Amino acid sequence: MAETTVTPGRPTRSGNGGRGSPRPVRQGLSERALGKVFVSPSIILMAMVALFPVLYAFVLSLYLYTRRQPIGFGGIDNYVRALTDSRFWDSIQFTFIFTVTSVTAEFLIGLGFALLMNQAFRGRGVTRAAILIPWVIPTVIAAQMWFFMFNVTPGFINSVLGLGNFNWLGQSGWATFTVVFADVWKTAPFVALLLLAGLQTIPNDVYESARVDGAGMFARFWYVTLPLLKPAILVALLFRTVDALRVYDLPQVMTRGAFGTESLSMLVQQYVVRTPNPGYGAALSTLTFIVVLGIGIIFVRLLGRDLVIGSGVEGGRR
Amino acid sequence: MKSYKSWLASGGVLALLAVAACTPGTGDDEDGEMVWAIGGSEAQPGGIHQRIAEMWSEQNPDNPIRIEVLPEAADQQREQQALELQAGGSGFDVLGVDVIWTGEYSENDWLESLEDVRAEIEAVTLPGPFESATWGGELWAAPYNSNAGFLYYRTDLVDTPPTTWEEMCEVATSAAEEEGIAGFVGQGARYEGFVVNWLEYYWSNGGELYNEDQTQVTFDTAAAAEVTEFMNENLDTCFAPGFNTAQEEEARNEFQGGNAVFMRNWPYAYALIEDDEGSPANGNFDVAPLPTFTGDGTISALGGFNNAVSAFSNNTEAAKDFVVWAATNEEVQTMLATEASLPPTMASVYDDPALAGDPVMALLGDVLGDARARPPSPAWNEISVEMQNNLFPAYNGDADINTAVENVRTFLEGTID
Repeated sequence: MAETTVTPGRPTRSGNGGRGSPRPVRQGLSERALGKVFVSPSIILMAMVALFPVLYAFVLSLYLYTRRQPIGFGGIDNYVRALTDSRFWDSIQFTFIFTVTSVTAEFLIGLGFALLMNQAFRGRGVTRAAILIPWVIPTVIAAQMWFFMFNVTPGFINSVLGLGNFNWLGQSGWATFTVVFADVWKTAPFVALLLLAGLQTIPNDVYESARVDGAGMFARFWYVTLPLLKPAILVALLFRTVDALRVYDLPQVMTRGAFGTESLSMLVQQYVVRTPNPGYGAALSTLTFIVVLGIGIIFVRLLGRDLVIGSGVEGGRR
Repeated sequence: MKSYKSWLASGGVLALLAVAACTPGTGDDEDGEMVWAIGGSEAQPGGIHQRIAEMWSEQNPDNPIRIEVLPEAADQQREQQALELQAGGSGFDVLGVDVIWTGEYSENDWLESLEDVRAEIEAVTLPGPFESATWGGELWAAPYNSNAGFLYYRTDLVDTPPTTWEEMCEVATSAAEEEGIAGFVGQGARYEGFVVNWLEYYWSNGGELYNEDQTQVTFDTAAAAEVTEFMNENLDTCFAPGFNTAQEEEARNEFQGGNAVFMRNWPYAYALIEDDEGSPANGNFDVAPLPTFTGDGTISALGGFNNAVSAFSNNTEAAKDFVVWAATNEEVQTMLATEASLPPTMASVYDDPALAGDPVMALLGDVLGDARARPPSPAWNEISVEMQNNLFPAYNGDADINTAVENVRTFLEGTID
């Protein structure tokens, strides 16, 4: 839900900014007003699809329930209960650790893959396809696969590394590691794909002039590639961060939330489906929404500023 | 975030159900056809539930019954039924209800009371399964099939099955060391199966959760701490590596692969190991009642499904007749055992000479009488989650055992009022 509310804001906003050149005034509605009229149906549709559930969940979160039975209005009681529950903070902690470590690793590995795939070499097409395979596998299947690999027996990883009966999934710390590892394996290619798209928009002449000015490989990467890649990097980080904050399937299949791997979404799922309490579940999901939205807004801010710089460069190219 | 998705999905499913309810095929109001919402492999075409439904339909052409196949996983079956019942839909007449859902469903007023046919059912049913169909002293479902845990052991490594858990661990450890394999596998991952395994230790140590009519908490923290301590001490010695991440299938794979001396599992594993030609356990294993801590008798947690009548059914009387028939008809109950290896709930079936040669059914006949139902309280799912959250870290050494059992007791007390 969260990306749908956050990301569409970006093209609309940047689109308005770019198309701001005023035309000669005509009779009737101005072009700007007319544009708003034309855009309104989709805005209304999006509000109904994306905004309504959010508001509905908020209203629901103000009511108290015993399991499925409503027992009355509770105001902020459900929020107080959540914020004083150590399980909530444990899941926040895991979700943040998971997000920071997995997104960092995915970014570094993805950048490496992207730089590699951007080179002209024999078999580049095959490499590009091969790197994308993990991303194509459905998450639940990948999670089950890594469960078998990390499991003590048959324990593929233990036999390859000669670790005997090392219990990856059955102890604190390592359980988190396996979930992060599986996520990095699965989504680093996705980051690579986004960054590769960014790399391909960097014109070759920029590199040529840098080379003429005597910039070495590292200087070219640091002063040319990275700054020009920044918009693509931010988009990739935004997608991954928001996605990682909502992680559910990997820990659910691999550890079922044992050993401190219960994510925020798993906690929400418990109170919505397994032990239904619509009020408390809605409060938890509203809190999740606020967390994801807050972090999303920070990214969109950074992204918006950067797109202006990015478009300046593109303008210079023209 | 999940919740919005699930609500949207629920909305979608409800819409589909609404559409389905309008299609001519399910005009059950007019022609008296009933719908039996039950899941699992036996609900598929050719499965035993299907054949029982056909048998009823032949005998009762005025009120035939057809099966609405629910998903494989119990949690999802419950969700599907909840969607229909929460909306007051009459799409399901008979509900296949897991033994631990009875209280929740009755609390939501989703079920017809079966008090008026109680005597008929109680007279022929095993006491454990019967208890699992009652809540608040009232009968809400008709027992259908049952389930109980067995101790599987390797006959080539163990002479006589142990009668206490401590003895099992001694035998397991020494036999395992000689063979270079693991001792005992069970269901130790953090999920409902762990609660079942833990309760079997706890009950067999003299512990209880509630008193008879479930109005008072009788949770024995000392007994609970003892069994949690027992699990903690045997982790990585008697208990196989990976015990704390194993569910039914992981445990079966270990035992079937010849990597364990003992296994706690449900009866389903028997046929699978027996049919596996390459298994080192094949031909070298047998089943025994689960040990206890006291050394007396055996206690197993009870599984299985009961049939309940939906409160929103338009064919209440016929549906009631059906669930009583399925619970009390000897032919139906025998079919469950002989054709599908599903443990029947009818006591007399186990005396059938046709079943005496079947080791699984013979043992079930012995242990089901002592099997215990998890309290079918409306709060059972919450209790189970709370027990998982406290006892799982405690037995893994990540939390204090005494605090954990105190927390469980406090939570149980909170479910009374």
